[in-house]
Amino acid sequence: MLKTNKMVKILFLPIVFFFLFFLIVPLLYMFWQSLKKGNSITIQNYVEALQSVEIREAFLNSFQVSFVAAVITTCLAFALAYAMHFTTMNQHLKKLVHIGVTLPMLLPTITYGFVLLYTFGNQGILTKLLGQPLVTIYGFNGLLIGYVLYTLPVAFILMQNSMQYIDKRFLLVSMLMHDRPSRRFYHTVFRPMIGTIGGAFILTFILSFTDFGIPASVGGGYKVIATELYQAMLGSIVRFEQGAVISVLMLVPAVLGIVMLSVLDRFNFQYKHVSQSALAVHRLRDNTFTVLSLVCVSVIFIIFSTMFIVPFTKGYPYDFSFTLEHVQNVLAEKNLTRVYMNSLIVAFFTAILGVCIAFVSALLNVRTPLKGRSTLDFASMITNTVPGMVLGLSYLFFFNGSSLKGTFFIIIAYTVVHFFTTPYLMAKNSLQKMDPTWEVTGELLKDSWLQTVIRVILPNIRPTIFQMFSYYFLNAMVTVSGVIFLVSTKTMLVSTRIKELQHFAKYTDIFVLSIFILCTNLIVKLGCDYITTNKEKFKEM
Amino acid sequence: MLELKNISKSYKNKNVLRDINLTIDSGEIVSLLGPSGCGKTTLLNIVLGLTEQTDGQLFYNGQDISKQSMQDRGFNIVFQDFALFPHLNAYDNIVYGLKNKKQQMSKAEIQEYVDFLELAPHLHKKIHELSGGQKQRVSIARTLVMQPKILLLDEPLSALDGVIKESIKERIKSIARQFKLTTIIVTHDPEEALTLSDKVLIINEGTVSQYGTPHEILKTPKNQFVEDFILKQLHIKRHNIYQLFGESYA
Repeated sequence: MLKTNKMVKILFLPIVFFFLFFLIVPLLYMFWQSLKKGNSITIQNYVEALQSVEIREAFLNSFQVSFVAAVITTCLAFALAYAMHFTTMNQHLKKLVHIGVTLPMLLPTITYGFVLLYTFGNQGILTKLLGQPLVTIYGFNGLLIGYVLYTLPVAFILMQNSMQYIDKRFLLVSMLMHDRPSRRFYHTVFRPMIGTIGGAFILTFILSFTDFGIPASVGGGYKVIATELYQAMLGSIVRFEQGAVISVLMLVPAVLGIVMLSVLDRFNFQYKHVSQSALAVHRLRDNTFTVLSLVCVSVIFIIFSTMFIVPFTKGYPYDFSFTLEHVQNVLAEKNLTRVYMNSLIVAFFTAILGVCIAFVSALLNVRTPLKGRSTLDFASMITNTVPGMVLGLSYLFFFNGSSLKGTFFIIIAYTVVHFFTTPYLMAKNSLQKMDPTWEVTGELLKDSWLQTVIRVILPNIRPTIFQMFSYYFLNAMVTVSGVIFLVSTKTMLVSTRIKELQHFAKYTDIFVLSIFILCTNLIVKLGCDYITTNKEKFKEM
Repeated sequence: MLELKNISKSYKNKNVLRDINLTIDSGEIVSLLGPSGCGKTTLLNIVLGLTEQTDGQLFYNGQDISKQSMQDRGFNIVFQDFALFPHLNAYDNIVYGLKNKKQQMSKAEIQEYVDFLELAPHLHKKIHELSGGQKQRVSIARTLVMQPKILLLDEPLSALDGVIKESIKERIKSIARQFKLTTIIVTHDPEEALTLSDKVLIINEGTVSQYGTPHEILKTPKNQFVEDFILKQLHIKRHNIYQLFGESYA
């Protein structure tokens, strides 16, 4: 057994303080605020909020549209993942589907809304082609399409991952046992996927329920809970108590979701071996899924194509001649380039700090006998549960009077905390897979614990570190929901600036900025992927 | 009776199997023996109907089955790692295929298989609660209730520990006798093949090196490969065991 040494404790302390100050205390403080009325402690605020017709309506609307979106997304994601893993669809098409479905992840959700307006709205491409609007995009329809676009990548990646670990040889067993197709599907695909399907549903529901970017752009008169919260805090009449109450109410479905996820976990099982066996060709099945995949990817590309057309045309939708004027205008405007630099700074430092915290937390949790190391799992569970808007709002309450208010640091801290779960689990996963005897070997060879970490563990976890960096960077570039409460005029980010530009109807600028974000994210992602795969190739040699 | 005539298999420009000829009588146990990558698993898959041969024909009781699908052939296989459905318990795995059969099997008949494989105490256990040997027997039961015309076993002993190996060997022999079931086993272990089967097909680099009874192979190895790969290993084993026990135990 390894002894807990001083170094481990020295590393543990700041992390504990970080989560205490930037997660636990602000949330508790906000909860306390929701109970305060004047100088007394009461549940009066909750009673008032629940009696308010507007809040009730917004809550119900949110529930409704998120539920429908989650059903659609889950079905689509399942079908697309099935096409990737259980059909003999063309390999290039499989790659294209993967790229097409996950590409929207590189954009802020607020952009989705404007893209939808330009595609389905009165001046939209589809409207021009069809002669009249296909659907009214403001309100329910727009939210629904936006949420599906927003959550499809996440659900798709979840399903894909899970299907990867299904033992394909059971298809063969099922054939040998003379199963009908429906029974084969149930036992070899559906049953093993039930846990993931439920998980994807809950996750997409919560994401939609708590998203701010999409309703901010296409919500129109359709009230949802996220916009109500924004109105309460940053609207014309500020009602702090009501804001606190709404954000606590927003937590409820999130908490319920997490509880349900742990129940669903019981349906999961693992295959001992995962063997790949050649899939039988089945014309009808393969063709059906090829068509479905093509349709999905085309729809996504068509919707987002406006983003690339509008900024490069003279006077969309009347004059389609090519111009760089709009891009030059944005580049010339110091204000906008500074906002872009701000975003870069925040994303970069978020990624650096985030990777450090997530890696050290995972390291302490997995590879040391440190007492209290399970608190880190607890922290990751909470960050996974608390919606971005709620966390951002709790910072607004807690740091309001402090000197941290309006600094880059608070935005970075928020982003690090909000997106902590995934990188933490990534690091944990890799660390768990590593040989558990390395530290002992290191100690026997007279290395200190820290030396072993630097000389043995770090070089072996490098690909994961780059993936964590890329995850943090990308999300920091696109996040809107929490940071709207935290930015000041000095620390304005691209994603929040888009929200402002909306007021002046400067949609071309919005798209130019969105393209900047997309390109930056693509470069970072491709760079990190390149480093990761190169390292792996090197290992194989 | 199963007959293989001039079976060949090639992938793109690589020959995996060349001109395999083989006759297996009903109720016989035959091992396909050879080093890894020699093509023995490919041959097993061709018999099963999972892989299509590039050339040659297969006959079952005189009928040409070369173009028949895996399902129509009615052979069945027990996989090396058993491939039991992890979400079903032992009993549900055993009766899994019965639900697809027109002719229902009576409870008593199922019980017969269960008793024969001594699985009665384990029927309601989950798959991960079973030992390796128990999983193996569940997997065999699941295959046997389908009443296959030929039973194929892919490395049936490689996932089991030493002690259980010998008892499973006996079990496989008694299954073949009891159900008069033609059994084909893939293995890379000469000792296993020679002690388990009526006949052994030694394959090297895609061709038949020797086909005969264990006795014939030991007495008259046909070529250098059989001597090097098969006999030498057994001699070393014998030598080691003699050293442990002393010559007097021979």
